[in-house]
Amino acid sequence: MATTVIAEQPPGRKSLMQRFARGWEPYLYSAPALILIVTVMLVPLVVGISYAFRDVQILNPFSGGFIGLDHFRALAGDRAFLVALKNTVWWTGASVLLQFAFGLILALLLDKPFTGRGLAQALVFLPWAVPTFLTGLNWAWLFNPVIGPLPHWLHALGILSEPNNILSDPELAMWGPIIANVWWGIPFFAITLLAALQAIPRDLYEAASIDGAGPVQRFLSITLPFLAPTIAITILLRTVWISNFADLIVVMTKGGPADRTQIVASYIFTQAFTRLDFGYASAVAMVLLVLLLVYSMLIVVLRQTLLNKD
Amino acid sequence: MASIDIRDIHKSYGKIEVLHGVDLTIRDGEFIVLVGPSGCGKSTLLRMIAGLEEVTGGDILIAEKRVNDLAPKDRDIAMVFQSYALYPHMSVAQNMSYSLRLRKTPRERVASAVSAAASKLGLDPFLERRPKALSGGQRQRVAMGRAIVRQPKAFLFDEPLSNLDARLREQMRAEIKKLHGELGATSIYVTHDQIEAMTLADRIVAMHGGVVQQVGSPLDLYDRPANLFVAGFIGSPGMNFIEARYQPGEGSPAARLADGTLVALPHAYALEPDTPVTLGIRPEHVVIGGEGREAAVELIEPTGFGTILHLALHGLPFKVFTTDRKVLNAGNAATISFPPQHLHLFDQEGARVGAV
Repeated sequence: MATTVIAEQPPGRKSLMQRFARGWEPYLYSAPALILIVTVMLVPLVVGISYAFRDVQILNPFSGGFIGLDHFRALAGDRAFLVALKNTVWWTGASVLLQFAFGLILALLLDKPFTGRGLAQALVFLPWAVPTFLTGLNWAWLFNPVIGPLPHWLHALGILSEPNNILSDPELAMWGPIIANVWWGIPFFAITLLAALQAIPRDLYEAASIDGAGPVQRFLSITLPFLAPTIAITILLRTVWISNFADLIVVMTKGGPADRTQIVASYIFTQAFTRLDFGYASAVAMVLLVLLLVYSMLIVVLRQTLLNKD
Repeated sequence: MASIDIRDIHKSYGKIEVLHGVDLTIRDGEFIVLVGPSGCGKSTLLRMIAGLEEVTGGDILIAEKRVNDLAPKDRDIAMVFQSYALYPHMSVAQNMSYSLRLRKTPRERVASAVSAAASKLGLDPFLERRPKALSGGQRQRVAMGRAIVRQPKAFLFDEPLSNLDARLREQMRAEIKKLHGELGATSIYVTHDQIEAMTLADRIVAMHGGVVQQVGSPLDLYDRPANLFVAGFIGSPGMNFIEARYQPGEGSPAARLADGTLVALPHAYALEPDTPVTLGIRPEHVVIGGEGREAAVELIEPTGFGTILHLALHGLPFKVFTTDRKVLNAGNAATISFPPQHLHLFDQEGARVGAV
């Protein structure tokens, strides 16, 4: 029908309204979805970013004005922020590396057939299912010498000189959330690496063992090259997640003692919800966002160059 | 190069026994083909020789040395897998040299071994490519190259041609045979394809249900199959079997078919009169036309070189192969007869019955 109607009218004689409707038709169809995405994703992002350039303090009814780059100037001289930045690197690096190392070991163990492997695989996944808030509370209690056994065990093993709470020891406090984080995050690496391991054809190992490769050489020349892409992508993802991941620290130490466990993400949380300075918190968050973007871009570029080399 | 002795080999997975005592002696430089249907235990036996499967019972000797407890790498054998099992992240040259590099062979020796193998297999232009940039046939060649650079005591082939198309399979089959002629290495080749077995083997080992059915030269198995299984497995189209009863007669031994007619036998057998037997005759040995018995024609399959006639003889399926094109116009019925010298006789247990 529509084509016959158009055919009857000579081209160029269509009314303005018709041409407008024709040109906009595709956009109108996709508009509902686009509007939804923009309101849900972009609006909060833009409002959040705008806070960084405004003086937003919940308890100060006269705040809210535009202050330009003042927050960022303050940030440059903020010693607590610099400490948090250093702590973030330490927290993220240690957590990711330990999670990866233990996850890989666990995946290699679960890759070998043994009776009850199905059950073991299900159990390994369990920590991942525990809410992080509960994980934090649980480990905080485990480290508490009044109710938890860990300080006494560590003391008995000679690792601690006194059965004290390591969460209140400025030198050791960071290990508390890191251990909790490692416990909670191992399953992620174990399961993804296990899936990658099981995708390696068995006969490659058989061919290699006939070719004369021992277990170590088989691991280095078959397992690792096959796992490399999975390792790269999981470590990238986990690094971004963990550096943003303040739950355990907020629950276990609240950044203390003396800011020794304060990471940037928990610093943002403290600024926003303890000091109620949303403007400053947003400025810190923007810096973290930029740092993580730079990191991700570096990894993506690295990956591309490695892929292109093939 | 070496001989391989297999002595009373058993293999069980849990309670299920898949090999029930296999004995086999493979001479130095011999090309042995293990053939049988899926699940007959031929691949398991090969993998046990390679050291990829544990031996449940019995002994395996390579070059007169017991290797039951040796790791695959210490047995000095090379294996070509059905899937080729090429290392995807290594180039063709790296794939072929991997075993030599693991053995810390000097660099020049590695290079010369790889280039010698590559030129033998026509892989020179592909040495720097990754396996995924090769065709199926080229990958197959790399897998062979990986085996021959090592100059091992024995080559093991696990259905190496199964993943190739028919034309390429034929071509590679000839190349493997040529290669064996040049290298003269002891080889064990597993296949379910009886044509591969017939064309490649010095001796065929026919296996079924974890038991060796017959060991012999290809023509031995074709001319004198030891039992019904071998008779039916070797040859294409497969041998025809007819149930009958032995009749010694008066100097004219015969077999009485279900309909009461007699089939003349070439000679007398050490059987009681009226013993149930199975007559076997290959489709290509059946004579069409002239005096004989009537059979209904159900289907005619021309193959170009010859024709396969699907008949119904006394209601049972019966196949005839002939290169005579007249049968293409056979119509609804054909007359067939069985030349006595081509008849095989099997007893009730399925074993071949010899002449008196």
